[in-house]
Amino acid sequence: MILEVNKLRKEVSSGDSKLVILDDISFSLEEGQSLAITGPSGSGKSTLLGLLAGLDTSTSGEIFLDDIALHNLDEEERAELRKDKVGFVFQSFELLPSLTALENVMLPSELKNEKDPKNNAKYFLERVGLDKREHHYPNQLSGGEQQRVAIARAFACAAKILFADEPTGNLDPKNGRLVSDLLFEVNSETDNALIIVTHDHELAEKCDKQIDLKLGKIVE
Amino acid sequence: MLLSLSLKLFLREVRSGYLTSMLISLILAITIVSGISLFTDRLEKALNTETEEFLGGNLKFESNQNSIKPLLDGINFQNVEQMEMVLFASVVFSENEMQLSSVKAVENSYPLIGELELKDSKGIFVSNSNPKPGTVWMDERLKNLLLLDYGDKVEIGDSTLIFVATIIYEPDRASGNFAFAPKTIMNMSDVESTNIIQPGSRVEYNYLFKGSEEEIIKVKDYLEEIKENGDEIETLSEDSSSLGRTIERSENFFLLGGLIAVLLSACTIGIASQRFTRRHVSYVAILKTLGMKTFQIRALYLLLFLYTTLLTLIIGLSLGWVLQSNFITLMSSYFPTELPSPGYYPLLITCLTALICQFGFIYPHILKLLAVSPMRVLKDHISFSQESVPVFSMGLIAFLLLLYLYTNQLTLSLIIFIGVVGFSVIGIGIIYLLLGKNNTGLGATSSINLALSELRRRKLGNSFQIFAFTVAIGLSLITFSASKNLLGSWQNSIPEDSPNNFAINITIEDKDNMQVFLKDNQIKSTPFFPVTSATILKKEDQDNVIDRNFNITWIEELPDQNELFAGEWFKENHKNGISISDEIYDRYDLQIGDEVFIKINDELIDTYVQSIRTVNWDNFSPNFFVIGHPSLFEDISSTYITSFFIPFEKQQLAAELMREFRTVSVFSIEELIKQVREIIGQVSKALNSILLLTCLSAIFLAFSALQDGFSVRKHQAAILRTLGASNTLIKSSALIEFALLGLIAGTLGALMAYAGIYFIETEVFETSANFYPEIWILGPLIGLVAVSLLCLYLINGIIKQSPKELLMR
Repeated sequence: MILEVNKLRKEVSSGDSKLVILDDISFSLEEGQSLAITGPSGSGKSTLLGLLAGLDTSTSGEIFLDDIALHNLDEEERAELRKDKVGFVFQSFELLPSLTALENVMLPSELKNEKDPKNNAKYFLERVGLDKREHHYPNQLSGGEQQRVAIARAFACAAKILFADEPTGNLDPKNGRLVSDLLFEVNSETDNALIIVTHDHELAEKCDKQIDLKLGKIVE
Repeated sequence: MLLSLSLKLFLREVRSGYLTSMLISLILAITIVSGISLFTDRLEKALNTETEEFLGGNLKFESNQNSIKPLLDGINFQNVEQMEMVLFASVVFSENEMQLSSVKAVENSYPLIGELELKDSKGIFVSNSNPKPGTVWMDERLKNLLLLDYGDKVEIGDSTLIFVATIIYEPDRASGNFAFAPKTIMNMSDVESTNIIQPGSRVEYNYLFKGSEEEIIKVKDYLEEIKENGDEIETLSEDSSSLGRTIERSENFFLLGGLIAVLLSACTIGIASQRFTRRHVSYVAILKTLGMKTFQIRALYLLLFLYTTLLTLIIGLSLGWVLQSNFITLMSSYFPTELPSPGYYPLLITCLTALICQFGFIYPHILKLLAVSPMRVLKDHISFSQESVPVFSMGLIAFLLLLYLYTNQLTLSLIIFIGVVGFSVIGIGIIYLLLGKNNTGLGATSSINLALSELRRRKLGNSFQIFAFTVAIGLSLITFSASKNLLGSWQNSIPEDSPNNFAINITIEDKDNMQVFLKDNQIKSTPFFPVTSATILKKEDQDNVIDRNFNITWIEELPDQNELFAGEWFKENHKNGISISDEIYDRYDLQIGDEVFIKINDELIDTYVQSIRTVNWDNFSPNFFVIGHPSLFEDISSTYITSFFIPFEKQQLAAELMREFRTVSVFSIEELIKQVREIIGQVSKALNSILLLTCLSAIFLAFSALQDGFSVRKHQAAILRTLGASNTLIKSSALIEFALLGLIAGTLGALMAYAGIYFIETEVFETSANFYPEIWILGPLIGLVAVSLLCLYLINGIIKQSPKELLMR
C-alpha cells in the first residue's frame, strides 16, 4: 500500500473560534492506482492534498506514505520524504521563472544529487514533446507548454506518488485534454500512484478511485 | 468618488504596512533636508549679524588720508547711517610706565552696530556710546602694562586724559592695521589737542556705513568711484576670517551630508515604488475592466501620492525642526543671543525636494501601472511593462535637479552627476563581470553550489544589491571614521601648540635679542619674517595700479602650509622674482611671467611673477600675499613679524617681553583660537548627527534592496521546499550567497570610504590625509556580519511559513 489515511482532521484558528476544514477522512491507495479528489470550492480538496503530500500538518489523524508515518515527521523529515517519494503538478505550474525549461526539469534530480540530471531531464522533456524548447524560459512558453514542463519535472524525480492540483484548471479544453492524457500516459509507464484534485468530471472518471468532499467530509 | 476611493486606498496601504519603507524614506529625506536648511539658514543670518559687528557696520571704507572726508560729508545717502574713526599708533604714558598703543578715536555715533562691554571699579557694564571727552578706555593688557587704576591720568601726545574703563568686548574688532598693539579708545573731539596727527603721520581713517542692502550697494558704487590708490572697501561678503571659513566649510559639509542622505532615500523610494507597482498591477487591471479611464486611474494614484507627500511633509518638517533645535542648542554657547528666525527658503527647498522625489522616483512607476492591460484579469500571466528606460531617465533627471537645488551651480552639479553616474555604471559593470558566467542548472546539489549559482544567475540584480550595500557600508565607515578620526583631524588642524601670540614691529636691533629671550624661556616660535608695506604696479599697464597695499616679506624657503599652485619656487643661480598668493592672482589677473614693479616707499623694484601659492590663512602663523626673493630687497629696511605659543602657565611672559622690548607689539589670539576650536567641536557634534542620519538612510536602502531581493526568493524557496529541499539547504545557501555578497560589498565599501575620507581630509578640511587600517578590516567584517544577519532574519521569515502557504499566495 502506498498511502493510508486514518481519521484525518484539520482545524484552523479563525479569531477566537476554530474552523474545521477536514474531518474524519480515511482511505487508502495501492501502488500504480490513481485517485481523484473532487468536490465544490471550499470543500477542503487542496488542503487534503497538502496534508497527503506533507506540505502541511494535520490537527489529528494518521497518514502512512509508503509505510512511513508522515504525521510523525518534522518539517525537515517531510522535505526528505517529498524529495525521495513525491512529485507535484500545480494548477499555476509553479515553474521557476529564472530557469529554462531544461533547468526546471533538472531541479529534482539536482536536489537528489543524481549523477546526470541533464540527460534525465532531457529524456522527460522529450517525452512531453518539448525537447525543442528546452532553453526557453517559462514566460516564453504557453500555459499548456508550461504545464507539460511541470509534468516532466514531476516524473523526472522518480517519485512513488504524484500529486496534481487542478492540473488542467488554467488551461483551455484542448490543452487540458492534452495535458491530462499526457499525465496518465506517462504515469502508466511507471508504477506511480497518482492523486489528482480536480473539478473536471471527465478527468476524474479516468481515475481508478474517486473521493468526493463536501464541507470537509467524504461523501459516500 | 475618486477622492473617497483614493483616501480608502491610502489608509489601506498605510495600515497594511506596504508603504512603510517609502514613507520612512521620504520622512528621513524631508527631516534631513529641513533640519539642515533651517539650521544653516539661521546660522548664516546669525553669522551675518556677527560679521556686521566684527566689521562695525554693513560697509567699511579705509583710507590713509583724510582728503576723502569732504567728499563723504558732501553727500547724503537716505537711510544710511555713517560714522568716522581715526586710528593711529602712539606711545601712552602713565605716571611710571609707557607703552605703544593702538589708539582709536571715535565719534558720538559710535558704535554703529552692537554694543561694548566695559569694566570699571563697580564691575562690568554695557555701553552704547563713545568715551566722554577727556576720558579713555583701554584693554586689560594695556592697563596692566601701564600699572593703571581707574581714574588715573594718562598722556597721549600733548593731551592728558583720564582712564575710566577697561574694554572687555568691542564690536568693530576688525579695525585696521594698528589693531595689533594694545587698544585705547578715545573721543574724536580730543584728537586735536593731542597734536599727534601732523602732515606725514601714519593715520588710518575709517568710515563705517549702516543701511539697507540696496542703499549699501549705492554707497559702495559711489565709493568705488571716488576711492584712491591704497583705499579699501570692505563688505560682509568679504569675510575670510578663520571663523568664517570654519563655518563655511561646515555648511558645505552639512549640505553634502544632506544631499547624500536624500539620494540614498530617493533610491529606497524607487525600490519601494517598484514593489508598490508590482502589487497594484491586478488592482489597476480590475479598475480598467470595470470601466475606469486611464486619466481617472492616474488621478487616483496622484491623489494617493499627494496624501503621501502631505503626511511625510508634516512629519518630516516637524522632525526637521526638532533636529535643527538640537543643533542650535549645541551651538548656543557660541551665539550669545537667540538665533534669528528662519526665512522661507528652508521650507521651499524641503517642498521642492519632496516633489522632485515624488515625480522622479515614484511617478515613472505609476506610468508603468497605467499601461497595464485589462486582459490581465483574464490571463494572469500577462506581464506588465518591464521597460526600465523611462524609470531610469526620470530618476537621473530628478537626481540632477536635486544636485542643482543643493549646490546652485550647474557646472558643479554636472561634475557630481557625471561622477556619481560614472562610478555607479563602472562599479555595477565590474561587479557584473566579477560574478562570471553561470552553468546549466540551479546547482541545488549543495549549499555552496546553489549559492554560487544564485550569485551568477541574478547577476544584474545582485550587482545593484552589492552596489547598494557598498554605498551603505562605505557611508557607515565614513560616519564611523568621521566620529572617531575625521572630525578629530579637523580639530587637530589647530594643534595644541598653535601660535597664540603675534609679535610685530620687531626692529633689526631687537630681532636677535628677542630670539634669545624666546629660546631662554623655551617658547617655540615661527621664523622671524621681514615685513613691510608695498604696492604692486603692472609694468606694461602702469595706469592699472593694483589698488591696495600688501604686506610683503622676503625669504628663501617656502613657508609651511603654503603650497605652490603654479610656477617655480626660488632657485639658486637663477634670476628670482616674487611669489604671489592665489587670491592676488584671481583678483588682479596677474600671470606667471608678468613683469611688475614693487613700490616700497618711493623705491621701485623691477621684478616678475615667478610663482603662485595657495595659502592656508587659518594656520595662525604669519602669512603673506607677496613673498619676494631676499636678493631683491637687500637695501630695504623693515621690521620683523613672528608668532609663538605661550603655554597657559607662562602667560606672564607676554608682559615681560613687552616690557623688555618696548617697541615690539605683542597681541594675543588665544581667544580667537579658543573660539574656532569650540565652534569646530560643536559643529562636529552636529555633523555627527547628520552623518548618523545619512548612515541610517544608507542602512535603510540596503535593507530595502535586500527585502526586494527576498520577495523574489520567496517563491523559489517555496518550490524548492515542495520538491524536497531541506530548510538547511535553503538557509545555508542563502547565508553563503549573502555572506559573499556582503564580503564583496564590504571590501568595495572600504575602498569607497577610503576614497571619501581622503577627499574630505584633503579637500574639505584641508588637512593631510591619514591611513586608517581599521577601515579595511571593519568594511569586509561589517559586510559579512550585517548582511548575513539581515539575510538570516529574512530567510527565517520564509522558512517559518509552510510551502503550501507561500505557493497559495
